[in-house]
Amino acid sequence: MELKIVGLTKNYQDIVAVNDFSYTMTNGVYGLLGVNGAGKTTLMRMLCTLIQPTRGEVLWNGQNISALGGEYRKALGYLPQDFGYYPDFTLWDYLMYIASIKGLRNTVAKKRAQLLIEQVGLKEERNKKMKKLSGGMKRRAGIAQAMLGDPKLLILDEPTAGLDPNERIRFRNLISELAQERIVLLSTHIVSDVEYIAKEILLMQKGKLAMSGTVNEIIENLPIKVWSIEVPKKEISSYFNLYKIANVRTESDMVSGGKAKLRILSAKPPAEDAVLETAVMEDVFLYYFGETAGEQYGQI
Amino acid sequence: MVRYEIKKVFSKKGGKTAILALLLLLAVTCFFATDVVYVNEKGIEETGYAAVSKLRHEINEWEGYLDEDKLRQAIEENIRIEQTPEAQSKDWHMNNIAYSWKQGFSRIRDLLNYSFASGFREYDYYRADSLKPEDAPRFYENRIRLLKEWLEKDETKYMFSEAEKAYLIKQYEELETPFYYDYMEGFVNLLEYSPTIIMITVLIIGYVVAGIFANEFIYKADPVFFSSYYGRNKAVAAKIKAGFNIYTIIYWIILLLYSTIVLMYLGTDGWNSPIQADMSGWKCFYNIKMWQAYLLTVSGGYVGGLFMCFLAMYVSARTRSSVLAVMAPFVLIFIPSFISNIDSPVINKILGLLPDRLLQVNEQLKYFDLYQLGGHVTGAVPILFIVYGTAALLLVPAMYIAYRKKQ
Ligand SMILES: Nc1ncnc2c1ncn2[C@@H]1O[C@H](COP(=O)(O)OP(=O)(O)OP(=O)(O)O)[C@@H](O)[C@H]1O
Ligand SMILES: [Mg+2]
Repeated sequence: MELKIVGLTKNYQDIVAVNDFSYTMTNGVYGLLGVNGAGKTTLMRMLCTLIQPTRGEVLWNGQNISALGGEYRKALGYLPQDFGYYPDFTLWDYLMYIASIKGLRNTVAKKRAQLLIEQVGLKEERNKKMKKLSGGMKRRAGIAQAMLGDPKLLILDEPTAGLDPNERIRFRNLISELAQERIVLLSTHIVSDVEYIAKEILLMQKGKLAMSGTVNEIIENLPIKVWSIEVPKKEISSYFNLYKIANVRTESDMVSGGKAKLRILSAKPPAEDAVLETAVMEDVFLYYFGETAGEQYGQI
Repeated sequence: MVRYEIKKVFSKKGGKTAILALLLLLAVTCFFATDVVYVNEKGIEETGYAAVSKLRHEINEWEGYLDEDKLRQAIEENIRIEQTPEAQSKDWHMNNIAYSWKQGFSRIRDLLNYSFASGFREYDYYRADSLKPEDAPRFYENRIRLLKEWLEKDETKYMFSEAEKAYLIKQYEELETPFYYDYMEGFVNLLEYSPTIIMITVLIIGYVVAGIFANEFIYKADPVFFSSYYGRNKAVAAKIKAGFNIYTIIYWIILLLYSTIVLMYLGTDGWNSPIQADMSGWKCFYNIKMWQAYLLTVSGGYVGGLFMCFLAMYVSARTRSSVLAVMAPFVLIFIPSFISNIDSPVINKILGLLPDRLLQVNEQLKYFDLYQLGGHVTGAVPILFIVYGTAALLLVPAMYIAYRKKQ
């Protein structure tokens, strides 16, 4: 089982949405990280044969996916970013319909659908109309739909968007559960979604693959160091002008004595009393994308 | 797959509402189609089921071949009634009483008006009243004579070629006479209201099936659809099948209901009379019976409606918009009736071949739209069946290809 992306490029008029992207995937979870507009969705739509690449090709076990046609699509499960469903279908009808267009035989379809609604925790919602499900439930229905054909390649485009922190954690667990014996490619712009479950992380920047590897590899290869220092609150802004700041922690003046703790990316120590810290994925994200990925160190 | 496609259509509110509306309009159409008026001996109008059997009873007294004897009888009876004080009276109520005596042969009286008209395109409601019993033998000849006279006039010079004129005369001469005179309100009304119910049915089903190809785009369900195993082949075919099944099943159910209700109420008598035996079909050059005319009308409606529904689906497959798709049948049905005011032989020939005519074959049977194909003259009806039957078939691969290629 191997998905090989070779020099994949997609142009939209003068925009290069995906630019000479190459990568090879085998079993496991792959986290595709990138900010808005990086080209994640465009890449995935090409992998799902929804749009034709301008250049390059995608090989599934050595064969071009557009030549494979149905045979490739049979191995594919896809949860689009903008996940659309049939609002007036019940969850069960929806899954049975998708199963039918995926070519599942009726008995198999029923078994799979039953198993999946239990796995994604929607057993109670079986006969509810799709439009009556909550946002998180819809996402889970989306995962169930993508998993119906027991796909060897599961592509999830921002499956955690719009989920609350608890649901996000459940989701992560669900995905690592589903990741056995298949390739899961998951896009997100939230580091914590993939940090712990991804075998490898792909950092996508302006259509290009900027960096890739395991979390450790990526952190080790970070060409910059991470420091923490305590500074008086009124100096915070001047540090922002000089450095990339991963995090600012302020506590009430009673405790901190009017000081704030900064986490700074810099090749050299930003101050004499700066303490060298171990880098984490958040720092990597900041380094490559120039913006914080939010959530993880969320200020309260 | 097909089952869920159909379910998709009817799980929506719009789909359910459309069917309810269709049933409601069916009821309304049947209400009008079963409306028969009987005037009783007091000159008072009666309606309802009792009126139907009373009228049938009156007409049955006249039942039989409409030959010279029967025509003479009708003319004599008409003269007799016209001379009664009731008929002569200035009081419309009295006139109504006189009319009540004529009901048994009033259809014969209508035919006399046409047969003895002063010209092919003339009509005089009182013409029958001035006839004499000796006129009876000329009844069937007149039909052919008036046609011939008309065809020699200047106004028809650019309308028909010589071959077409000869064809019309031949058709007229081949009509089998004498007609059999019988009660036939059932079939006359059935035919008269069939375009109404057919158009309503086609428009509503057109609306229902227009969404079949647009749904995925409207709901943004297209990525999942097209990336599925059958997304670019069988699932597309399933949509076409769903459209076909929905149209076919609903169309025939509605028309079966319509026919059954109207004929159960008014009776099936007269099913084997020629269409010329009612004044509405007197001038027709198609020599067919009432039941054949009805069969042609409903099958024409089916073929024309299938074409329109497939066209709507094709538009929705191409444009991803169900709004544009819904418009397609409306445009095809209503635009021709605007253009038809223009009086030009060429435009008339074109209009005669537009698909809306298939939804009203009973009307088309009366039009003198003639076409010459390789020395062979034919009316518009067979051409319409062939052209739109073929077009509907061709739309199948067209929408399949248009949809599966969507990116
Ligand atoms: N159909 C299209 N036509 C023109 N430009 C497009 C089209 N689809 C995407 N783009 C452009 O391509 C670039 C990449 O878009 P894409 O949706 O792939 O990014 P993304 O990484 O998925 O972003 P997000 O995190 O917001 O989902 C963007 O600049 C976008 O404007
Ligand atoms: Mg995206």
